Order: sequence, then structure tokens, then C-alpha cells
Amino acid sequence: MDLYSVTLEGPAPWGFRLQGGKDFNMPLTVSRLTPGGKAAQQNVGVGDWVVSIDGVNAEGLTHVEAQNKIKACTDRLSLTLSR
Amino acid sequence: MTHIETSVIYNDQEYDQYEYMVQEEEWDRDLLLDPAWEKQQRKTFTAWCNSHLRKAGTQIENIEEDFRNGLKLMLLLEVISGERLPKPDRGKMRFHKIANVNKALDFIASKGVKLVSIGAEEIVDGNVKMTLGMIWTIILRFAIQDISVEETSAKEGLLLWCQRKTAPYRNVNVQNFHVSWKDGLAFCALIHRHRPDLIDYSKLNKDDPLGNLNLALEIAEKHLDIPKMLDAEDIVNTPKPDERAIMTYVSCFYHAFAGAEQAETAANRICKVLGVNQENEKLMEEYERLASQLLEWIRRTIPWLENRTPEKTMVSMQQKLEDFRDYRRMHKPPKVQEKCQLEINFNTLQTKLRISNRPAFMPSEGKMVSDIASAWQNLEQAEKGYEEWLLNEIRRLERLEHLAEKFRQKASIHESWAQDKEKILSRKDYESASLTEVRALLRKHEAFESDLAAHQDRVEQIAAIAQELNELDYHAVAEVNERCQRICDLWDKLGTMTQKRREALERTEKLLETIDQLFLEFAKRAAPFNNWMEGAMEDLQDMFIVHTVEEIQSLISAHEQFKATLPEADSERQAILGIQNEIQKISHSYNIVLSLTNPYSTIKSEGISAKWDKVKQLVPQRDQALQEELARQHSNERLRRQFAAQANVIGPWIQKKMEEIAHSSIEMSGTLEDQMTQLKQYEHVIVNYKPNIDKLEGDHQLIQESLIFDNKHTNYTMEHIRVGWELLLTTIARTMNEIETQILTRDAKGISQEQMNEFRASFNHFDRKKKGGMETDDFRACLISMGYDLGEVEFARIMTLVDPNGSGIVSFQSFIDFMTRETADTDTAEQVIASFRILAGDKPYILAEELRRELPLEQAQYCITRMPAYTGPGKAPGALDYSSFSTALYGESDL
Repeated sequence: MDLYSVTLEGPAPWGFRLQGGKDFNMPLTVSRLTPGGKAAQQNVGVGDWVVSIDGVNAEGLTHVEAQNKIKACTDRLSLTLSR
Repeated sequence: MTHIETSVIYNDQEYDQYEYMVQEEEWDRDLLLDPAWEKQQRKTFTAWCNSHLRKAGTQIENIEEDFRNGLKLMLLLEVISGERLPKPDRGKMRFHKIANVNKALDFIASKGVKLVSIGAEEIVDGNVKMTLGMIWTIILRFAIQDISVEETSAKEGLLLWCQRKTAPYRNVNVQNFHVSWKDGLAFCALIHRHRPDLIDYSKLNKDDPLGNLNLALEIAEKHLDIPKMLDAEDIVNTPKPDERAIMTYVSCFYHAFAGAEQAETAANRICKVLGVNQENEKLMEEYERLASQLLEWIRRTIPWLENRTPEKTMVSMQQKLEDFRDYRRMHKPPKVQEKCQLEINFNTLQTKLRISNRPAFMPSEGKMVSDIASAWQNLEQAEKGYEEWLLNEIRRLERLEHLAEKFRQKASIHESWAQDKEKILSRKDYESASLTEVRALLRKHEAFESDLAAHQDRVEQIAAIAQELNELDYHAVAEVNERCQRICDLWDKLGTMTQKRREALERTEKLLETIDQLFLEFAKRAAPFNNWMEGAMEDLQDMFIVHTVEEIQSLISAHEQFKATLPEADSERQAILGIQNEIQKISHSYNIVLSLTNPYSTIKSEGISAKWDKVKQLVPQRDQALQEELARQHSNERLRRQFAAQANVIGPWIQKKMEEIAHSSIEMSGTLEDQMTQLKQYEHVIVNYKPNIDKLEGDHQLIQESLIFDNKHTNYTMEHIRVGWELLLTTIARTMNEIETQILTRDAKGISQEQMNEFRASFNHFDRKKKGGMETDDFRACLISMGYDLGEVEFARIMTLVDPNGSGIVSFQSFIDFMTRETADTDTAEQVIASFRILAGDKPYILAEELRRELPLEQAQYCITRMPAYTGPGKAPGALDYSSFSTALYGESDL
């Protein structure tokens, strides 16, 4: 389990697909990457778990809550992930 | 000038002619005398002659005239010599006168004076010089010649006399017979020397020679009967007074004083002699007195020294010695001194008597020197004897006292030692002692015996000392003997008592040993027997749990075996009790009072008997119990068989059904609906079979109540059957459910039957273990075979999807879901987005009123509340983002 952080420079799109959430009983993971996208440029990996979004712990967030949180970051998106 | 050699030679004394000649050299016969000298001589000689002639009742006036006829000359000679001269011639003729003078001169010559150059004619003729010379010769011969002072005679003697007598007077220095006398002090000194009462010499002054001379002359005339022969003025005024005159006058002094001295001397002599006599007499008396005293003392002392009464104690003897010492130190020495003094006195006396020409002293009878000497010898003899005796006695007494003290000491020590021994020996402590105590007492007694033996010679010593005291005649010997006797008697008694005690102790020891042996025997046998009995009791009461008939039967046979050993045990018991009786018999018969507690064992014979009875009691009890158990076991066996019979049928049946169900699900014969029907049939059969299970349950309960835990007649336990039955029920239900879900899935995802069969075939293929579920590795292999080149990460992701619970098994349903999802998931979310887009009129966002218009109110409200605001390009107020909402619905958002 490696924890790592990335800071993606805005604006959106960030170039990844978020999957899971508390309501789906699945961890928030990166299920897909847009090739050459901002996430891919920062070496985010497919299957990596999202641990925190903008410093906020992502555990216990529903999919919509996580989605909204990410959408709220317009200029810059800080993520902590684990592969 | 003519050398006058008037050497007057005296017969009895011879002078150095030279000296005399020196003196006479001054006189020159032919020359006139120095007028001064003539004057002085005349006066002096006249006075001198008159001092003698007045004894004959006559005087002369003129010295050259009055002697011319020779009569007065002869008279003078007679007076001064004291001898008669031949009768003078009474004629007046010259030749008569010459004859008389010649008679005088002859007389002088007959006295040893050689008259040279003096003739009678010159005298008759009145030759002054001759006459004076003759008178001087007479004076010299009769007044001066006989002077002898300290072996010096005549003029020198006289001079010496003057010097001696005037020696104390510092201002007088007589060196000659002329100038030394000028100051008159010499005369005064002479007077004062002999008659200090006549003159106060201290008042005299050297510077008053005249006064001094006159005084001396005066006193001499008045008190000494010496006429004034000198003229004071003449002497003073003449530078060198006439020597002869001075000599003549001085010689008168000599005769006056020396005479007195002679008288004194004579008186002294007499006194001395008398004194010596008196002294001698006193000495004799003293001697007598001392001798008596000494003899008396010796007489008294000797008996004391010969006293041989012995004293009793050393102290008094020592006192005697002390007295003797005092005697020697204090009383005798003065006596020794006295004796010595006596001897000295005697010797002195004898010597004195001898010296003084008296007969030797003869002490009175019994006081002779020899008497004293012998008495003293006796004394000393007695002393020695006494001292010896004292020392011997003291030695003896010392020894006696020492012995007596030794005796007392030893006796005391012994008595104190022996004091309590009697009591100890008479103790009967062994009567109630244990064996070890008796043995200890024996040891102590042994020690005592050796102590006693050690004391034997001490007692002998005491007796020996007593004996010696007897021999040495100790004054308090009776008491000693009494004490010695007491000691010896007690000693014998102790010996006897010791012996008795020894015997008693040994006897007791023997008995106690015997008893001890019996105790030991008892212990040795009782212990194992007791153990055996306890073991037997334990065994007989042993709770047994048996589960088989064989078990109980073995117990029964063991019990029978045990019962066979009882008679033997009984005889052992009796033997043991016999020992106890033996012990009691012995102790009663020998009166041994001791607690009959077996030191080797705590087991009592009563205990043994009690246990034995108990054992006897337990045996039949056991019999009964065993039999009961046997019956029970038999009944259990029956139950077991019953159960087994049933279980052996049910078990396989369930098994068969399980296989059939599993087979049907794996087999893919027919449609899912066909499978469902078949399954329903199975279900029906199963349900109808339930009563069998119930019955089995009933049997099982009986078995459990009977506490039967095993059943060798069947391998199937109730649990097995139960579990199997439930598994069957669940399996059938699950299988049916699976089929239902498959049907649903098929319908939902539009999978054809062929697809389904394909999926089934793959699944079955990779379900290596044919469990109805793929393991992780199986799944991986499956994916690989389907062309999925997966990295570990991707595979893990997929695993979480297909096996969200992490069970490690991928079910067929999950497999189908996964397979169909992969191809359809994005479509589903996209389809919803596409649907929203249509409703939104191809806008990237949708408005609330559009939702309300197109969808039922409830769902529209659901969307409005949950859709996030659209933040994309070309947004309008109230724009809602349906894309993210849609993806969120599926848990997937593109961001």
C-alpha cells in the first residue's frame, strides 16, 4: 500500500473516471484514465484508491458526495491516493 | 781593738759559740760602756740584786761599792742558789776582801760558768765595768740560763717565751731585747697575758711609751713582787736601750709567771692524775654497772630464746618471728653496742690504768670479761637455735596450713560436685521415658560414670591429705577427719547408687527396645495394609463411566478378582492386630508407663479394624452397582442399533439428493425454466422426506438422554444428518435462487441461452474443483483464456468487483455479472445520459421545469434535489448537471 499525493492544475476535466462510494459498498477508485489527461500526466494509476480529496478523508463518502467534492475544486485538485 | 772573747761555756748546755760571740761582740771590755747602758745596767742590776738580797734582809745602794768586800756578793749567791757558800772572812783587809770575792767567783765557776777576764781584784777595786759584767754573768747563769722554752734555752728561750706570750698582741713584736721593749707595750702585754685582771690592755696606747712603761713597772712592783729595775725615761730616751738590763727585767717576769705557770701545771697535773683516777673509777663503776645490766638482760633473754612452745597458727608463729626480728633489729643492737662499749670501756680502762701506772682492773666475780663473753655466746647460741626453731615451726605450720587449706578446698570442691549427684542418681526418670530418652539417659549415665571415675583419685587425694595432716599433728585434725569420713562415706554410696542406676537403665532400655521393634513391625505391616485398604475402599467406591458392555463386564471381573483377595488380607489384618496386643501385654507386665504411641506410624489398630469393616461393607454395594450398570449398557446398545439402522438409510439418501441437485445445476440440459421445474420437483421430494428426519431426531434424543456418546454401528451422527439435511434444504433453495437470478440476468442483460451455456461451459471448465465456484487462480486463468491481459492491479480491481466480500470464490452469478458488465456497464450510464439529453433538448444541462414536465413529480423532485449544478460552458441559471448524476447512479463519474 503506497500512499501518494497529486495536485492537478485546473481547470477540469481532470481526465479520470471515479468509481465506487459508500452507497455502492465499494471503495472510491480510479477505474479509467483519459490517455494524456491531467491525471495520467501526474502518473495516477488505474485501480488506485482515492484516500482523500482536497485534504478531506474520502472514506465514508457516497459517490455523489465525492463527485461534488471534486467538482468543487476548480483551480486546483489535491488528491491522496493509494496503489 | 782587742777582740774580746768572753766565751762563757756552760757545762750542761753548749751554745753555738758564734751566736754567743755575736751577742758579746757589743761589749768591749776596754771601752767604757755606753754611758746610757751603764746607767741602765746599774739601775737594773742593783734592783735585781736587791730583789734577792731582801730575802736575806739586806740591800745594796751602790753596785760598784757594796760588792767590793764580797760579803754581800756571797750572800747574794747564797740566796739565789739556795746553797751555802764557805764562811766569809771577816777581816777588812784587802786580801780578806779578795778572798771573799774569790769564794764568790769560785762558787760561780763551780756552777759551770767560765769567768774569763773577771778577777777578784777588779771587783774589790770597784771596777764598774767588771762588777756589772760579773753581776751580768750571775744574772745570766742563775736567772736566764735555766730558762727552757720549747727546747730553746737561755736567751733564745727567753726571747721565744716573750714572743709566744706576746703573740696575741698585734701591736707588740718582740724581736730583741732592746728596741722591741721601748714602747712599753711588750711589758704590758706580758702582764696582761698572765694576769689580765691587773691591766686593761685595750686602754694602752703605743704612742705613750712612757705611760706604758711606768704602768708596767708599777704593776710589776705592786702585784708581782718585781722591783722597778728600769727607768722609764731612760728607756724611752735611749735609742737602743741596754739589752742586758732589759733581759734582766724580763727574766724577772719570766720567773714570776713561769713559776705561776709551773704551779698551774703542777696543779693541772695533779688534777689530771686525779681526774684520770676519778675517770678510771667511774669507768670501773660503769663497767660493773653495764656488765650487770647486760648479764641481767642476757639472763632474761636466754629463756625466752629457749622457749619452744609451739603455736597453733602460722600467724602467731609469724608474730613470734616478728618479735624475734624486732629483738634482732631493735633490742639486741643496743645490747651489742653495750657489749661493745663494755669491751671498749674495759680496754680503755685497762689501757688508761696501764698508762697511769695503776694496776689492771679486775672486774668483780661473774662480771669478768670471760663471763660476759661466754654469756654472750650462750645468747647467740640460743638465738640461732631459736631462729632455727622458729623457721622450722613456721615451715611446719605453713605446710600444715597449706595442707589444711588444700584439704578444705578439695573437700569443698568435691562436696559441691557430689552435692546433687545423690539426688540425680535416685531419680526414677527412666520409668516414664521413651526409648530415645532412655538411651540418652544411658549416655548421660556413662558420662557420669566416667566423671565419677575421674573423681576417684580426687577423693583419694583428699584422704591422703587428711592422713598427712594427721601425721603432722595438725591442731584441728579432728574436724578434718570427720569431714574426710563424710566424704568417703558419701563416695561409697554414690558408687553403689551409680551401679544400681546403670542396671535399671539397661533393663528399661532392653524392654523399650523390644517394644520399639514391635512398633516398627507394626508400622511396616500396617502401612501397606492400610494403603491397600484405602485403595480398595477407593476402588470400591470408584465412580465409573462405562460406555460399552465390554467395559462393564471387565469391571465386574476385576471386582470378582478383588473379592478373591479378601481372605488373605484378613489374615494380614489379624497378624497386625496381634502385634499391637503383644506390645500392650509387654508394657503391662513390666509396668512401663509410657504413651503407647507408635513413633513409626500414625495408624491405629482401631483405624485398621474400622477400615476393614468398611471394606467389607462396600463389596456387596459394588456388586450391585456393577450389575445395574450392566443392565443399562445393554439397553444403550439397543438404542444405538436402532439409531444406526435409520441413519444408515437417511445419510446416503441425503447424499444422493445433493449430488443430483449439484449435477443438475452443472448440467446444462434444457432451459433455465426446465432446470427450475426439475429443482422444484426435487424440493417437493425433500420436503416429503422430513418425517424421517424427525424420527431420527427422536431416537437421537433418547440416545442423548441415556448419555450415549458414540455409536459404532453407524458413521453418521445426528449432527451429520442434521447438517446434511439443512445443507440439502439450503442447497436446493440456493440453487433455485441461482436459477432465478440467472433468469433475471438473462432477461435484464439480454443474454441468449447459447451465451448462457457458453458462460456455463467456461465456468465449469475453470471450476477445477467442481464446487460451483471459481477460486481466485481459476478466475485469473479464465480471464487470461478470454483474452484479458491483466496486470495485478487491474486484476485486483476486478476481484473486488466479482468478490466484494473477499471470500476467495467467484460464484457463477458474479462471473456472469462480470462478463456482462464489462460489455455493458458503460452503456448503461451512457444510455441514461442519452435519455436525459433527449429530455434536455440536446443541451449539456437540464432545467428543473424540464424535469418536472417529462418525469413523474416524485422522480423529477428526486432528480432536482440530487442533481448538482451544471458548471460547464454555456451554463444558465438553474442548470442541472445530469451527466455526473447519471454516472453517480452507477458509481462511476468521469471527472
